[in-house]
Amino acid sequence: MAGYLLRRFVTSVVVIIGISMVAFAMLHLISSSPGRAVLGLHASPKAVAAFNKANGYDDPIVIQYWHYFLQLLQGNLGYSYKLNQPVTSVLGENVLRSLYLSGVSLVLAITIAIPLGIYQAVKRNRLGDYVVTSGAFTLYSMPSFFLGLLLIQAFALSLKLFPPEASQSVSVIGVIEDPRAMFLPILNLVAIQVAGYSQYMRSSALDGLGQDYIRLARAKGLSQRAVLSGHLLRNSVLPMITLIGLSVPALLAGNLLIETLFNYPGLGLMFFNALQNEDYPILLSYTLIAGVLTVAGNFIADVAITIADPRVRLS
Amino acid sequence: MTRILDIQNLSTHIELSHSVVQAVGDVSLHIGAGETLGLVGESGCGKSITGLSIMGLLPPGGKVVEGSIKLEGRELIGMPESEMRKIRGNDIAMIFQDSSSSLNPTKTIGDQVAEPVRLHRGGSKKEAVDRAIEVLELVGVPRAKERLADYPHQLSGGLRQRVMIAIALTCDPKVLIADEPTTALDVTIQAQILMLLDGLKDRFGMSILLITHDMGVVAGRADRVNVMYAGRMVEATDTKEIFSHMRHPYTQGLLASIPRMDQDNSRTLFSIPGIPPDLTSPPQGCRFAPRCGFVQADCRLNEPHLSGDDSHVAACFHPVTDGLLRPEMMVSVSHGRVLKEENTSEIPLLEIKDLVKTFPVTSGAILRRKVGKVHAVSGVSLTVRSGEIFGLVGESGCGKSTLGRMIVGLERPDSGEVLLEGEDVFSLRRRELARKRRDLQMMFQDPYGSLDPRMRVAAILKEPLSIQGMDSRKEQEARSLELMREVGLPSKALERFPHEFSGGQRQRIGLARALTLSPKLIVADEPVSALDVSIRSQVLNLMKRLQVSHDMAYLVISHDLAVVKYLADRIGVMYLGKLVEVALGEDLYAHPAHPYTQGLINTIPLPDPDIERNKDKDVISGELPSPIRPPSGCRFRTRCPRAQDICAQEEPQLKDFGRLHQAACHFPLIDPLEGVGVSLKKSAM
Repeated sequence: MAGYLLRRFVTSVVVIIGISMVAFAMLHLISSSPGRAVLGLHASPKAVAAFNKANGYDDPIVIQYWHYFLQLLQGNLGYSYKLNQPVTSVLGENVLRSLYLSGVSLVLAITIAIPLGIYQAVKRNRLGDYVVTSGAFTLYSMPSFFLGLLLIQAFALSLKLFPPEASQSVSVIGVIEDPRAMFLPILNLVAIQVAGYSQYMRSSALDGLGQDYIRLARAKGLSQRAVLSGHLLRNSVLPMITLIGLSVPALLAGNLLIETLFNYPGLGLMFFNALQNEDYPILLSYTLIAGVLTVAGNFIADVAITIADPRVRLS
Repeated sequence: MTRILDIQNLSTHIELSHSVVQAVGDVSLHIGAGETLGLVGESGCGKSITGLSIMGLLPPGGKVVEGSIKLEGRELIGMPESEMRKIRGNDIAMIFQDSSSSLNPTKTIGDQVAEPVRLHRGGSKKEAVDRAIEVLELVGVPRAKERLADYPHQLSGGLRQRVMIAIALTCDPKVLIADEPTTALDVTIQAQILMLLDGLKDRFGMSILLITHDMGVVAGRADRVNVMYAGRMVEATDTKEIFSHMRHPYTQGLLASIPRMDQDNSRTLFSIPGIPPDLTSPPQGCRFAPRCGFVQADCRLNEPHLSGDDSHVAACFHPVTDGLLRPEMMVSVSHGRVLKEENTSEIPLLEIKDLVKTFPVTSGAILRRKVGKVHAVSGVSLTVRSGEIFGLVGESGCGKSTLGRMIVGLERPDSGEVLLEGEDVFSLRRRELARKRRDLQMMFQDPYGSLDPRMRVAAILKEPLSIQGMDSRKEQEARSLELMREVGLPSKALERFPHEFSGGQRQRIGLARALTLSPKLIVADEPVSALDVSIRSQVLNLMKRLQVSHDMAYLVISHDLAVVKYLADRIGVMYLGKLVEVALGEDLYAHPAHPYTQGLINTIPLPDPDIERNKDKDVISGELPSPIRPPSGCRFRTRCPRAQDICAQEEPQLKDFGRLHQAACHFPLIDPLEGVGVSLKKSAM
């Protein structure tokens, strides 16, 4: 197994390097002359050329990538001329804040969706199942920002239970210490994810309940609870693992809308601003982060499957 | 005898969304202490639902609507679930057909066997594990202690079935319900498992409810047999009596439909016409009446109830008295066909020479490395003459299906040749190969999976003609109508989809599709394995009749020696990628030369209690070795009672044992022909 994971890890690194190459090349195609972008439309061609030469932007693309790659290895993601600070420091707390928002809502969503899906499978085609399915479909088909607007209207403006804006604290600690302000954005993300995951879990659990080993477990005299927790749970969660791994980068995209809506300074908001400013170094870094998350999500899912499923572990 | 389990007037219904299946109706049965009761019937007759009703484990929508089930006088129907749980796995245990899906893939077998011990007996984890080791040893799992940490997928099918039996035995149940315990296993493993169950019953005085479709399985070990049909109990009596003096026409027909090893295969096999009724709206009167040869007016009006004396009851107004229908007693049409004399100058229809096929075994997720090869077929040569039926038998993993797929060109051999009328199929160019495919067709095992669910039958039958660019639309239509008539389906069935047919009808469509291009050879891979006995004999008869009328050859692949014996003129026996014996069907059965052939013949359960009970208990021991590392020399030597040193060192070659009879064994059961030309003749086979 160790060999398998090592190979899997090495290929992940290779894929990430590939992503950085493609992203770099694409950026180069869009804006091959950063001097123009930095100095503005009114700068003289001479000044632009001088700027490019001074910063190595007139080198062949391969050389430029090599410099970029060496910087990457040192953890340097480039320099945002628009914001006049290194990209890493722009990302800095933004990454942690986004991680907090996505992480907490993902964990909550899974903890709710798995038992909910099993409940629906057990109550298949009965009232409880119908109620949950209707709710899930309604949430699933609703745009995330629309749900956010409803939540703000209901809980912040009408009931005044929670603030309409997410925590504005610069440090993550500050955000964590202000759960009231984070309640609505987290609720928003959780609701939408539970809607999807619970339906997937429902069908996986339904599959599981029809399996012969569940019948054999019952034939041993086990109670319903023991059958569900001892025999159904682990087998039905297996397909969920891959799904969750694949949806990690989607969380980032989901955050874009939620963070903008609740004005939460995270990666999504940063990306949104960088798009409007044509701040290419930041966009490049964002693309790279999305790529790393995709690869990492898959890698973690593979590791988790390997641990959870003995058939994969041993073959 | 005291009744351990007593079921009276049990009716179980299964509610579907728009209808109710009356799966079990008014069934009574009882099992005495230490007794084995065989509950026999075809799929959908309600035998499994009866077993699940006892356990209180009915599928969703299932409900016992009437009747009583008593375990040592305690009523189980209506018992609170918490009480019932103490009985399940403790007083009554159940084993199921498919051990690969019945064991939890993510739990170790140690945990799974120990689980009921702790549940019902309490005690420490260590005590439960000790008990698990004890029962695993009892059921013949070698080195049980080391196996505790294994997962189900690491064990062979036979071992998994033993583990499932161990789970059932952990709490010394009074009654063991065995639902098709050996149906998914190979015959040699089936014999081992059945012997194990017999031994355990004698040792612990359990009562066994043996649910099976296989009359051969009950013949050898059941004390009494109950026969079910369409949710009703139709006959119940001693095992010996049911096989010789059955009263219900269904029992009689069922037994006569089973091809027997000692049967004259030039005669038509008995078959029960039609299919069982739909249990959502069962017919009025006797449920067997629409298919019964002895039906009279009263049968259709009133339903017969079980009647007779204590030892033998049957539900029939007009019971049969003539006992077992032997083929020679039946009005039958001889096929009027004898195998053409050997004619060496004639080019055989199909000749395969030294076919070899291996499949790579890979390891690693991304960088796939070859770590070994599965030796599926290792140098097989044989010939099929035109108009001949050649049968290929062997257990799962012997390479028979791979061989069949290579013959029709679905799989490319690593080396060797497939010659169709002297032309090598694999050296043909694409267009010539496409043309050749007209002569080579295939019939598949699974009538559900092998027909496109979104194509109407008419389209299925016309497709081969269109691909080959044959005939106009009008002619294609005429051809499909003709095919439907030939396989005995109504012409309006052309407009229907495959799911609208029963399994037997679908296999008829499969046969019609294979016939469309008037092939010279049809490779039929397990053509009747998925079918019930009464339907199977209909399809077998049809296959035989069409073979004669179309003057085709068949290569029939099956694990069932009796089916092959009935269909085929010559039979080849395969073991682990090798052809070990070829002979005329009669010779193979009467004088097998290879110990494996002999073992196969011995282990097939025959529907005859006299033979089954006096059978040699020497079954083939052990399990099939891995085809990744087949044994050196003779591949059968690891399981062969006659094996000696030379068998490991030298691979036996095919030797002649008589006309059209060859076997590859160093110590054959009969003497080989002495003389010259053995190796020359080999290539002619």
